[in-house]
Amino acid sequence: MHEVSLSAILEERRSQPQQLVEVLQDVQEQLGYISGEAMKVVAQELGVPLIEVYRVANFYKAFSLKPRGKNVFTVCTGTACHVRGAGLLLDQVQGQLKVNPGDTTADGLFTLERVNCLGACALGPIVVENQDYHHHMTAGTLRKRIKAIRRRQPKEDEDA
Amino acid sequence: MPRLQGMSELKTERQRILNYQQQFATTVLICGGTGCQATRSPAVIEALKKQLQSQGLAEQVLVRTTGCHGFCEQGPIMVLEPEGLLYCRLSPEDCRDIVAQTIKKGVILERLLYTDPVSGQKIQKEAEIPFYRAQDRTLLSFNRLVDPRSIEDYIAMGGYTALSQILSGMAPQKVLDEVVASGLRGRGGGGFPTGRKWLECREAPGEEKYVVCNADEGDPGAYMDRCVLEGNPHRVLEGMIIGAWAVGAGRGYIYVRKEYPLAVQHAKLAVQQAREYGFLGDNLLGSSFTFDVEVARGGGAFVCGESTALMASLEGKVGEPRPKDIHTAKQGLWNKPTVLNNVETWANIPSIISNGSSWFSSKGTPGSKGTKILALTGQVKNTGLVEVAMGTSLRKVIFDIGGGSNNGKPIKAVQTGGPSGGCLPVELFDLPVDFEALSAAGSMVGSGGMVVMDAGTCMVDVAKYFLNFLQDESCGKCVPCRIGVDRLLEIVTDISEGKGRPEQLDLLKDLAETVAETSLCGLGKTAPNPVLSTLRYFQEEYTAHILEKRCPAGVCKALIHYAIDPGQCNGCGDCQRACPHGAIRGRKEEVRLINQAKCQKCGICRDECTLNVITAG
Amino acid sequence: MVNYVTLSIDGSTVKAPKGSSVLDAAIEYGICIPHLCHMPLLEDIGACRVCIVEQVRNGQSKITTSCTLGVQEGLVIRANSEKVHRLRRNIAELLVAQAPNSRAIQDLAVRCGVKEVRYPFRNEDCVLCGRCVRYCREMANANSLGFVGRGRDRHVDYPLGLRDLCKHCGLCTLNCPMSITPCDGPMKKGEEHLCGHCESQLAITVGMEDSCVWCELGKGFNCSRHLGQ
Repeated sequence: MHEVSLSAILEERRSQPQQLVEVLQDVQEQLGYISGEAMKVVAQELGVPLIEVYRVANFYKAFSLKPRGKNVFTVCTGTACHVRGAGLLLDQVQGQLKVNPGDTTADGLFTLERVNCLGACALGPIVVENQDYHHHMTAGTLRKRIKAIRRRQPKEDEDA
Repeated sequence: MPRLQGMSELKTERQRILNYQQQFATTVLICGGTGCQATRSPAVIEALKKQLQSQGLAEQVLVRTTGCHGFCEQGPIMVLEPEGLLYCRLSPEDCRDIVAQTIKKGVILERLLYTDPVSGQKIQKEAEIPFYRAQDRTLLSFNRLVDPRSIEDYIAMGGYTALSQILSGMAPQKVLDEVVASGLRGRGGGGFPTGRKWLECREAPGEEKYVVCNADEGDPGAYMDRCVLEGNPHRVLEGMIIGAWAVGAGRGYIYVRKEYPLAVQHAKLAVQQAREYGFLGDNLLGSSFTFDVEVARGGGAFVCGESTALMASLEGKVGEPRPKDIHTAKQGLWNKPTVLNNVETWANIPSIISNGSSWFSSKGTPGSKGTKILALTGQVKNTGLVEVAMGTSLRKVIFDIGGGSNNGKPIKAVQTGGPSGGCLPVELFDLPVDFEALSAAGSMVGSGGMVVMDAGTCMVDVAKYFLNFLQDESCGKCVPCRIGVDRLLEIVTDISEGKGRPEQLDLLKDLAETVAETSLCGLGKTAPNPVLSTLRYFQEEYTAHILEKRCPAGVCKALIHYAIDPGQCNGCGDCQRACPHGAIRGRKEEVRLINQAKCQKCGICRDECTLNVITAG
Repeated sequence: MVNYVTLSIDGSTVKAPKGSSVLDAAIEYGICIPHLCHMPLLEDIGACRVCIVEQVRNGQSKITTSCTLGVQEGLVIRANSEKVHRLRRNIAELLVAQAPNSRAIQDLAVRCGVKEVRYPFRNEDCVLCGRCVRYCREMANANSLGFVGRGRDRHVDYPLGLRDLCKHCGLCTLNCPMSITPCDGPMKKGEEHLCGHCESQLAITVGMEDSCVWCELGKGFNCSRHLGQ
């Protein structure tokens, strides 16, 4: 299935080096992350040296080189959100999950990301949980949300 | 839909749509922009449609989901036309009454009206709200008229008329003359005269030319481009097509920040629709002009807002800037002549053509013409997008439109121009929004971001925040930015932690000048501005951190400590339960005590305490 | 037939072939402009910013790197003004504070007039001059090395850590400024300092800082005049 998806993404883009960023965007979106294998295929099909694919994958924050967790929490640290205490939010969730931005918890439940502005500045601090935007977020509320997700998990963990 | 072949066909189509729209007795405009989506406006729209259906009014009422109105804190926002009645902070449950009372019987629901935070009064009409009234919403007002997913709405409001005028017989040179005469300058931050850029591109040798729309909007705290592109994508497109005609470009790109998924979606849809109607592709509107546009997504890199880095990204490479001894108007995308302009710049073009250059240049100051959209955020009552004529004073924006402080603390400064800009103290608030005036004062208009700061904001912390941001976003290619900004941050961090030395202030200035003069691109060149401007106007805060080891604003963690007032604490223990670090001691019903060794200064206890007896100082 | 243009560098009239850079022209004429990332035959990227000069036009001056500035008829360049010396010295100071454990960087610092280092020393083993990356891509055609990551995380690496594209030509290490340690030996962490021994060599050139005197310091950082273009 992995190969079929890559093929679809590369459709009509073969031998077009300028499509590299767009192709990797699609790989990230559809396959969840950019694996080494995917990079090799893309390098081959677009006619780009592997080092260039590797460079682009590492340069842009949009790309993740590791699979992401079940729940991606993105904390906005833009100026307006910062002035409203986003820094404290980030400290709080880093302390609670014990991961740095960009990383995933060992149990694969949470990925923490930082973003430098989502354009919803009047409603900050903003935290995005997967696709949902939460506005006027506080450290306490965020802590409770994460706890709640953790609490729902044990059942699934037991079955695993 | 067969492609439109010229001005008269466009006119006919426009009339057809207007006739359709005018059948409805009432039009309800609901904001569906990113901000209102965060406050759940889609659910309100659903509920409204359901209520109209069940109350038998679906045929008489036109519901239009519009783009962002720029007043996000009041969202979800609804405006009822033709009365111009505004309801805000809605929830789906309100819709039953809105339909039954307001739409059916004309009864106004007081509880849904906007309350002016300054006067405390409820206001009915959108046009009377002080926040809106004090502005000149030349561009932003269009967002109310269109559903960004509907090209018909755009045509109905007069869209593509300017383009059809041009294609019916306005030579490229005439278009260039008009843009030059208007005095329009780039709205993305550079402020470069748009007409001059277009002329350079036109005169550059070569058949293959490009136009690019920079919708990367990396400045944190700035979201005007999101609002314009997300809310009125055809407007931006029309501007680009006109530009392409003027310079002789055959292809265009809209480079949108990936963090704006709705804007990406709407831009792509607009391009598709424009192709269907004959505004893009071969033989635009029946003329011999061929031009097409592609939408590309940013990869999450602030540096890609810089023109050469953006172009590198479009070329499928890492977003590293390159030296600009030769302008991109001569050698840009794939080394071909390229005009790159910001979203707001493109959006201004159609009106300049329709209304004429003197209409545009009649507003503003001698050096800065037209209107500018600003993103007013921070410690003011009315935050949101504000459009004013150039030359308007900062004081008017922050106090008349923004309504002044939102928490009673005195306003201390305003940060303008994003990470490339600087902080201006309240004493300078009579300065106008003008490219030269703000630059001379050590800041800049930039993209239009304006963050208001009060006594609770530490200016050393602000400098640290921006340096941290720029260090994170630096591409790392050149020494002054990669190492220089890092060292600036190292010094400012030391100062914020009470480890600063007086001689470091001179070192900061020397290093800042070096970084500004020798960096390869705009990111590095302007990186020292936040430090330099805070040093210039708020040196006493730096001195307090260095000599007294004190943070006057109570922000720098290493220099503050949290304490519970034993005389006021009622022993409820809320703080202790909330503390994630086990740093609060005390038994049931006893006064609690904070263990400074364990305290991580997160502030959660202070937020939890209902009696406000925990202080940070 | 080669086209020549005439320009002025530090008051001297210089004739240079079209398509060459101001740095090329200066080196040819024996005008000293210290540089680090410029290497003969490699594409100039303007990364180190050491070769900066002032371009004077209409009474205003602009700072730009001489390696990326193409020669043009009538160009007026100041390569050794007080301002340029000061900025260049500050950049060299940043470099030596970053990577003092390199003879090349120490020599460059002395050549650029660094007398004191006002930052805490670090002990990096790469200054990201890009010589290795460009040799690998442009001369060896191997594409085995590249700059990976952004900002502070930028470093030279193999793609996915794979070394199978390397052709073992050795060009990357041959001209690496980090490959030779300071004359007194490698500096341990905590003992980093500004070397300055070569002051003695620089003493010969005092009063002639603008001219190339084939200084030993230049040999130290592989100044392209020594490499012979």
